[in-house]
Order: sequence, then structure tokens, then C-alpha cells
Amino acid sequence: MYDILNSVINMTFGWGWPSWLISLVSHILVATILFLIAPLQMLFLTYYERRAIARMQDRIGPNRVGPEGLFQPVADGVKMFTKEDIVPTAADRWVHLIAPCVVVAPTMLMFAVVPWGPGMVPVDLNAGLLFFFAVSSISAVGLMMAGWASNNKFALLGAMRAVAQMVSYEIPAILSLLAIVMLTGTLSIVELIDAQAGLFIRSVDLPGVPDLGLGWFVFTPVGFLACVCFFIAALAEGERTPFDIPEAESEIVAGYMTEYSGMKFGLFYLAQYLLNFLLCAITATIFFGGWQGPGVGWLFSQAITPTNLDGHWIFNLLAGVLGVSYFLAKTYAIFFVMIWIRGAYPRLRVDQLMEFGWKFLIPLAMVNIFSAAIWLGLTRWGAPEGLALLEGWTPFMRWATAFVVTLGLNLASYIMVGRIYAATQAARSRAELEDLRDLALSSR
Amino acid sequence: MNTLIQVSFALVTALIVGSAMMSVTVRNIIHAALWLIACFFGVGALYLLLEAEFIAVAQVLIYVGAISILILFAIMLTRQLETGRYMVTGWRLWVTSVICVTLFAAVLIPTLLSHRWNLPAPPAAGGSEQLIGPAELGRDVVFTYLLQFQVVGVLLTMALIGAIVIAFEERARRRRILTLAEEHTLQQLSTTRQAAPTPESEQPPAPSTTDRE
Repeated sequence: MYDILNSVINMTFGWGWPSWLISLVSHILVATILFLIAPLQMLFLTYYERRAIARMQDRIGPNRVGPEGLFQPVADGVKMFTKEDIVPTAADRWVHLIAPCVVVAPTMLMFAVVPWGPGMVPVDLNAGLLFFFAVSSISAVGLMMAGWASNNKFALLGAMRAVAQMVSYEIPAILSLLAIVMLTGTLSIVELIDAQAGLFIRSVDLPGVPDLGLGWFVFTPVGFLACVCFFIAALAEGERTPFDIPEAESEIVAGYMTEYSGMKFGLFYLAQYLLNFLLCAITATIFFGGWQGPGVGWLFSQAITPTNLDGHWIFNLLAGVLGVSYFLAKTYAIFFVMIWIRGAYPRLRVDQLMEFGWKFLIPLAMVNIFSAAIWLGLTRWGAPEGLALLEGWTPFMRWATAFVVTLGLNLASYIMVGRIYAATQAARSRAELEDLRDLALSSR
Repeated sequence: MNTLIQVSFALVTALIVGSAMMSVTVRNIIHAALWLIACFFGVGALYLLLEAEFIAVAQVLIYVGAISILILFAIMLTRQLETGRYMVTGWRLWVTSVICVTLFAAVLIPTLLSHRWNLPAPPAAGGSEQLIGPAELGRDVVFTYLLQFQVVGVLLTMALIGAIVIAFEERARRRRILTLAEEHTLQQLSTTRQAAPTPESEQPPAPSTTDRE
């Protein structure tokens, strides 16, 4: 953006603006575009979810407003805007007012590091991945504020549940990403995508593989386990159905948003769908290659880039369109899986949620980090690191060994952890029943 | 670019100082905690302004995302404490503030006067500046500052073990609260099995939950 503006303003018009002004204007432009795109994504996702869940439940879903009900979200938005904004008398007015903003602002900030296509990232931070999760953890403060300021027991309960869930599921999410960060050796999301070129295997490990943009991490055993762990943790962070305990409508009305109405409620709704979109997008980016796909790499190599100045602009456009469509297709496919899970599973209990996170996901993520270390050692290391044994092997041999070893390790640990977890759950419910029996005896 | 940086620096410092002032002067303890969070966030922004991206992100992740949540939880779980009970008013306020300011100045002024500020020279214009990234930080932690790193690790582990011990003691003393489903099962159990009447006990013995964890 900076380069385009610079060439247009200073070269074409010759106005000679200073560089800080151009960078300010370019950042404001990018931010404006993102702020326009974000609500549109939310509108589409609500419609998409309602239609898909309706199909799964053998209903039709919204189909009256516009063609196939496509304008239903717009109608809902108008309804939200025109509703009366009620603040409870016992509420803490200012905190009650600020809380929705504190929840929405981080989700908007998270858009800053999501790459949409080749060369189309708003800000390429060095620690982009960490930024994403650091910013997402801010919204927990907003939830807490909302729950406390409403001065309502259900709201406070919902906020406590939401925060406890977010804080404990952040750990498996970040641990599973750590395995990927170890494989690539970078925290920059752009470089993570660049590492996923190639063909079903990671081209960084194997030379001479055609670049079809299919070297996604999900095809490696380490990446697959990380993907599963991360996706489950993402479901919990986005408060999607098996983990929608914070706003369980059959238990605590609507959780932390019980006392909100009108557009403030709309803001919570917006934040939630944006968070879901972003979590799907980041899953697509980290494990499914983001904009990588057949053709994009070739198109982008012909385009005008800082390294290739004599390209043609049409290739920029083509690569951008193809990359963005791959990215959005993957994101919506992952969102569909989220809807699917919503249609299939009932809600967990709070203690089940905590036990699943701490006793099942975290051990698996830790084993996965170990596997990632083995993968790294087998594919990259040589004599200087003390693995002189591997020097003579061909790259393919090293890669195949790494694949088999990590696959075996991950499978074995999955089966073992799963068995232990199931056994503890069974023992727990038995013990609970015995406790109850004792209670019944003593209370008679 | 320099003006932009100076303006943002002024804004960020105003945020930090203002929110810090608010967090110590405001009456409501939850509001104080929220202002403290704003202050943490401002410090994160300041790190970002210094191009220390990793530290800035870590600041937000740890202080805003975790520590502040802990503070809020702690306040909400101990809400019975009256607000404003320990307020100092009247002439005591003046005496207290004078003593505090004097003590603070006694520490701060000699430090400020005698400290040699180890300011790095501004980088030469045009020369590429080598910034320390997370990889270098990690290497330093494991190689150069290994002892400090390990001491911190041991400290945190001890804190964790202590927390678990305290939680277990609390749990053993706590009376069991039944959920609705459990009450139902209890009723069923007591109706199906007409057990012999045992001596009436007001407080059923708390089931020991520690041994089966």
C-alpha cells in the first residue's frame, strides 16, 4: 500500500509528500478497508450459519428477505439499531458502556496480522502469531467488565465461566502452535505461509518438489495433531457449541450479555462472529496454507514485487484474486465444520470442559512438541548438532523416517492419553455415584 | 517520521500516567483494577513504539491477558471487604502524604542525580539497525542468563505447588454442594433402597475428594 501510494502521489502527481504522511495515509486506508470488510464477513457468517444449521435440523432457515433470505442479516442489523438501549439502574454505567467496545476492539486489531493473499497482509509483524493471541486475550477483560457492570448474577456467572474457559483453553492452543513455530522457526504469519508451498510434503525439507502450494502442515503427523488440538481449543475460545457454557441459554439466560440490549448486544454478537471468523482464518492460515493453492505461487512469481520489478500488474491481480478465493474457501470450509459440530454435539458440563482441556488436550499438545523436535532433528540437523549419523541419508530418506517416527509417536500417545482419560472419567463417575450412595445412607 | 513518533509517545505516556493516577485515586476497587489494566496496555504500546515487538506482545499477553484477570478474580472473590474503610482524612491525610513524598524523594532524587544513563548513540542515518528478535532473546535466555532463568523457573514451580496444596486443603474442608441431577439421583437412591434408619446427623460427612484425584 505504501509503495502504491508513494508511486501515485510522488511519482505520478509529483506532489512530494513526506514519507510519514504517506505511511499514515496508507495505514488509515488499509484500516478503513478492513473495518468495512469485517462487518460484511459477520453478516455473511450469520446467514451462512443459520442456513446450514437449518439444513442439518431439517428446517429451511431464513428465506424471506431478499433472494434466498440473503438480506436477513441486514434486516437483523436494522432491528438491532432501532431497539431501545436499556441500562439497568443498578449497573455501573461507564463500565457497562465501555465493555462492548473492549470486547470488539481486540477482534478488530486481530485483523491487522491476517494475510488475505500473496503480499496482502495489513502489517507483517515479526511476532504476528503471538500478537494474534495476545490481542485475543484482551477481550476476556471486556467480558469480565460486562459481567461485573451489569450487576446481575447470571451475567457475573457467565463472565466467570467465559474467562475461566478462555484462560484455560489458551494454553493448549498456544502449545499446539508452538510445534508449528518450532518446525518453521518463525513467528511471522507471512513466513509461516511461505513455508507451506510444495506438494503434500513440506518443500523446505525436500528439495526439487514442484510448487503446487499444497505443502500444508495438516498433511504431516505433527501438524495434524496440532491442528486437531488447536481447532478444539479454538472452538472453546470462540464459545462455539460444545463449549458454549458461558452463554448457555438453558442455564444462565445469555451469560455476560444478559443485561445488554440494542446495539450494545449487537456489538457482542459482532465480536463473537468476528472472533469465530478470525479463528477459522488463522486455522486455515497456519495448518491449511492460507492463500497457498495450485497456481498462486506461479502467478505471484510473475507479478510486480520488490524482488521482481519487471513483472506485469495483471499477474498481481490474478494472484490476489486466486489467493483470496483459496483463503476464503478454506476459512468458510472450516467454519462449516464448526457449524457441523454445533449441529452434532450437546453442551459439555463445566467440570468436563476443564478436565478435557487440562487432562487431555494439554498432554497431547506437549507430546506433539516432542514430536516436532524429533521431526526437526531428523530433517534438518546434522553433524554440528551431534547427529552425524544422519549426514549420509538422502533428504527423502530423512523425511520419510521423520514422518514414520512422528506418526507412530503421535498415534501411540493419542491412544494412551485417550485410554487414561476415559478410565479416569469412568472412575470419577463411579466414585461420584458411591459418594451419593453414602450420602443417601447417612441422610436417611 | 520523527514528529509522528513524538506525538504517539506523548499520547501513550499521557495514557500511562493518567491511568496510573486514576488507579490509585479512584474509590471503587474494580475501577482501580480496570485503570491498572489500561496502564499495562499503555506500557505495551510504549514497547511497541520502541520497536520491541516481542516484548510488547508478551506484555499484553501476560499483564493484560493473564495478570489482570487474576486481579479481577481475586477482587471479585473477596468482595465482602468494605470499600473506603481504610480512607485517611483530615490532617492525617496531609501528614501521611508529606511523609510518603519525602520518603519517595529521598530514594528517587539521589538515584536520578547520580545515575549514569547508559543511552545508546542514535543509529547512523541510512545504516540498517539490527533489532533483537525472539530467536536471539531465546538464545540469550538459554545460554547467557541460564542461572537466572532456572531460578525463576524453580520459583514459579514452587508457587504452583503451593497453590495446589492450598487448593486441596480448601477442598477437603468444603461441604459438597449437590447439583440438581445429583439430588435427583439421591432421591431415587433413597426411595428405592429403604435402608435402615441411621442416627440423624445434621452435617453429612464431607466426602473426601482428595484421594481420588
